[in-house]
Amino acid sequence: MKNSFIFSLVLLININLNAQNRHTLSGYVKDKVSGETLIGVNIYNSADPGTGTITNEYGFYSITMPDGNYKIIYSYIGYEKTTKEISLNSDTRVNIELSEGIQIEEVIISSKQEDKNIQSTEMSTIALPIESIKKLPSLFGEVDILKSLQLLPGVQFGGEGNAGFYVRGGGADQNLILLDEANVYNSGHMLGFFSVFNSDAIKNATLYKGGIPASYGGRLSSVVDIQMKEGNDKHYSAEGGIGLISSRFTVEGPIINEKASFLLAGRRTYLFDLLQPFLKSTNFAGTNYYFYDFNTKFNYRFSDKDRLYFSGYFGRDILKFKSNERDFRFTVPYGNTTATIRWNHLFSDKLFMNLSGIYNVYDFSFGGGQGDFQIDVASGVRDYNLKLDFDYFPNYKNQLSFGFLAIHHKLSPNIAHATNGEINFTSPLKPKYGLEYAAYFQDDIKWTSRLSTNIGLRATAFSQIGPYVSSFDSVVYNDWDIVKTFYSIEPRISLKYSLSKESSLKASITPTTQYLHLVSNSSSTLPTDVWVPSSELVKPQRGIQYAAGYFRNFLNNNYEASIEFYYKNMYDQIDYGESYVNKPAEEVEKSFVFGEGRSYGAELFLRKSQGRLNGWIAYTFSKTDRKFKDINNGNRFPVTYDRTHDLNIAVNYQISKKWECGGVFVYTTGKTYTPLKSLFLIEQELNIEYGTRNSERISPYHRLDVSFTYTPYPESTRKFTSSWNFSVYNLYNRLNPSFIYNDITTNIETGEANVKAIKVSLFPMIPSITWNFKWK
Amino acid sequence: MKKILYIIIVFSLIFSSCEQEFVPDINNSPSDIVVEGYIEAGESALPPYIVLTRSTPFFNKIDSNSLSNLFVHDAEIKVTVDNHEFKFTEICYNNLTTEQKKQFSQLLNVNLDSSGLNFCVYVEPTFQLKGEIGKTYLLNIKSGEKELSSVTTIPQHVKLDSLWFIQPPGTPSDTLRQLYCYILDNKGIPEYYRYFTATNNSPFMTGFSSVTDDKFFDGLYFKFALQKAEPRNGEFDPITYGLFHVGDTARIKWTNIDKDHFDFWKTLEFNRQNQGPFSSYTRIKTNIKGGLGIWGGYSTSTYKLIVKK
Repeated sequence: MKNSFIFSLVLLININLNAQNRHTLSGYVKDKVSGETLIGVNIYNSADPGTGTITNEYGFYSITMPDGNYKIIYSYIGYEKTTKEISLNSDTRVNIELSEGIQIEEVIISSKQEDKNIQSTEMSTIALPIESIKKLPSLFGEVDILKSLQLLPGVQFGGEGNAGFYVRGGGADQNLILLDEANVYNSGHMLGFFSVFNSDAIKNATLYKGGIPASYGGRLSSVVDIQMKEGNDKHYSAEGGIGLISSRFTVEGPIINEKASFLLAGRRTYLFDLLQPFLKSTNFAGTNYYFYDFNTKFNYRFSDKDRLYFSGYFGRDILKFKSNERDFRFTVPYGNTTATIRWNHLFSDKLFMNLSGIYNVYDFSFGGGQGDFQIDVASGVRDYNLKLDFDYFPNYKNQLSFGFLAIHHKLSPNIAHATNGEINFTSPLKPKYGLEYAAYFQDDIKWTSRLSTNIGLRATAFSQIGPYVSSFDSVVYNDWDIVKTFYSIEPRISLKYSLSKESSLKASITPTTQYLHLVSNSSSTLPTDVWVPSSELVKPQRGIQYAAGYFRNFLNNNYEASIEFYYKNMYDQIDYGESYVNKPAEEVEKSFVFGEGRSYGAELFLRKSQGRLNGWIAYTFSKTDRKFKDINNGNRFPVTYDRTHDLNIAVNYQISKKWECGGVFVYTTGKTYTPLKSLFLIEQELNIEYGTRNSERISPYHRLDVSFTYTPYPESTRKFTSSWNFSVYNLYNRLNPSFIYNDITTNIETGEANVKAIKVSLFPMIPSITWNFKWK
Repeated sequence: MKKILYIIIVFSLIFSSCEQEFVPDINNSPSDIVVEGYIEAGESALPPYIVLTRSTPFFNKIDSNSLSNLFVHDAEIKVTVDNHEFKFTEICYNNLTTEQKKQFSQLLNVNLDSSGLNFCVYVEPTFQLKGEIGKTYLLNIKSGEKELSSVTTIPQHVKLDSLWFIQPPGTPSDTLRQLYCYILDNKGIPEYYRYFTATNNSPFMTGFSSVTDDKFFDGLYFKFALQKAEPRNGEFDPITYGLFHVGDTARIKWTNIDKDHFDFWKTLEFNRQNQGPFSSYTRIKTNIKGGLGIWGGYSTSTYKLIVKK
């Protein structure tokens, strides 16, 4: 007793003497069961919630406060809140493990301080934990991160069979899609009916559609940052699913307990494999289509200060077509490969470093022919990327990030090699090369308990480099010779002003620059579309977005609501001219036309993340148009994906311990199309003269999907558990037109002609069933 | 490449897609005058002629009467070459004698006997205007208030070097043959080709893709297959498409055209094929100022051979 009195006294004196002394509390936050680091966990002092921080993308946090006794709260959606009493008088390392919350209302600890959306400077940003994505109904039972993102406000759905999505009026190529920092250039399998991301291997997905932090760049409109799981470092586990069209399997576990772990995940479709016996006796024997992908990740913790990660993705879509009667055949493989190696190092409790080396490739190839005629075409993108990032936490008022990156790009157009049995000929096209550099700095500053800002600056440069022969003046550039260089300075500013503990106002300005472009002649993005760099033929795309919003939480932060407004200008936009035809021997850049774009809109978002009933409602009002000198006589026209109204409702309800149900409702204004203006005779046949670009709309798109998940033994303590998922896509069988075409028959000899306008809808009501299992 | 993607989607959509016919909003913008005129040079060159029609808004069904109404009458047409002016006059099928009707049908490659269609063309009545290689022809049209003009050149001709038949690829056939040809392309000169085929006495027709430039075979002695064109309204059979029947007489008309003329056909053929889920629209290029269509020069050669086993 006496001792403790003396100790307290000493402590008191110590505090008094060092009233201004500050120390750092830092550490990692992990999942208690799997050991997975958790991203975006809120960490704050219970007495002053405004002074918190969040874990970075490696689960690391650091907060510097005056010495003293604190109740530190760690809270994260879907996890039980943990409070840790800490007496801070020296730099302290506290690693925390959080347990997943049980999704029955009475057990959930109401997370009163879960108000990150109010307190942070971040706006126009939504993180979707994979677990909440998995609860939504999906087409053929295939959980799809990108399709789930399209249910958020400001994100337009491209249509069934379109891998592309459109953020705040930007094109499909204006989204930076990162998988463990590697750029994924083609995010769709089966022409975009499914995304390339296997949900079992994914930890987290964050969408930035405005107020994009200075650490991200290279695309005009959005960033989708996806992190793969690291692998359970405590014990082996496996999970998987068997569905109608595909199956998947994931295994993970420790290599060295709590020091090194791995994850391996694979997925493959088999629908057409099942049809093979029926094709065998037909003209089409040997025809098949399938896709597969693998994800893998390894990590090794050398010490508390050093950690090494390796992650990789490999996916392929393979289509083989054979018509044996006339020896007509082709094979189309395409897909992405990515590999990322990362080294995390803690210089101190305040300075975190990550060094990444990234390799990624997107390849498309076609090989086919008839008889002794054979043609092989290949295109793609290949990047080598070196990236260095620092997070510095000098005090609780500032959080700094800075870094540098350099990327070497190789972009191959469709290069054809063909032979007719005697002569070999090759198209004259050559790959183009580019070097991209970026340096950034940003500081998230809490000025007062009400006012915070995030001020950043991103400086970038892009050089088209040799080998290259100028198509203007035939100047020959050798390897690494600079053909043309572009620069850009992008000051990024976000600001938050708290009106109360439950409401705030935010605003941001985000200038962006894009050096690589994908221009599609079709109304959707296709695997055949070719990425091209900025060069002496094409300028970088530039954009600036202004956004402002009001954020408000209700009922103990159980409901999050926001309204955001944005206005975006886009310059040096690219499209094909109206009389574009494929010219395989010519650079696609020669067929480009250039113009500008603008978009504006308002987005309403209401989300409930906890409780038996959770989900969100998202409504967007928007307008997006383009102006090109060479299109539509220079008049403004709406883009294909201009949707005035877009409503998405996603809900999940826990009926009982065994039964859970989910529903998705989507309503959007119909997409635009270019109507037929008139018909005219040439060579005794009628031909179409088109009217004003995108001046008509297809009827509105809407559908309702529902799903039920049945877990037979929810409280089973056995290692092996399983559940059944029953999904119905498009429950009320709405025939949503996907595209329209005209069927024309002209018969001059009988003096008659018929014209039909036809709309085609792709997916009627589609039920599916998936059996999912877990072995812990 | 797009066709391949169609096949992909057909395969991915065994879950039955659904088609519904609908009536689009009828666009009531004023119609355009459509010119279809050709001038040929070569051994069996046709006399120059011009068809003048009006574009029509969307309709579901049209009969011969309404089709006949598309023809534009009483236009003033003249063609100028080397400062000589040639006036064209209109002739209509219904006003011709039986013998003239036969010639008319040959000129237009069409049999109008049972159509009830009163097809009209403008021709140069003195037959003094003949296409010549290397010459440029100016076209001027005046119809009511509208004035249209165009210009075309008849380019140098590159003949086919040789033609022969082989067994089609795949399963050998007793009755079908694939036509091949050799051509010696001129080096360094951009050339544009269009070809027509016919069998026995049928009119010349073109396939889905009738034009090519020489970007891939500039200056080469080059071999390629020529596909037999099929009537557009017939059923498409991928097993027999493009192949000739043994015993028939195959006729080939091989032409050179200028760049604008090539662009017209290239965009027109792309426009016809480029509809569907993965397509934007393609606007057909024209070399007619003030209207739609084509004023095109051809330098031609024709070939005739029996399809042997």
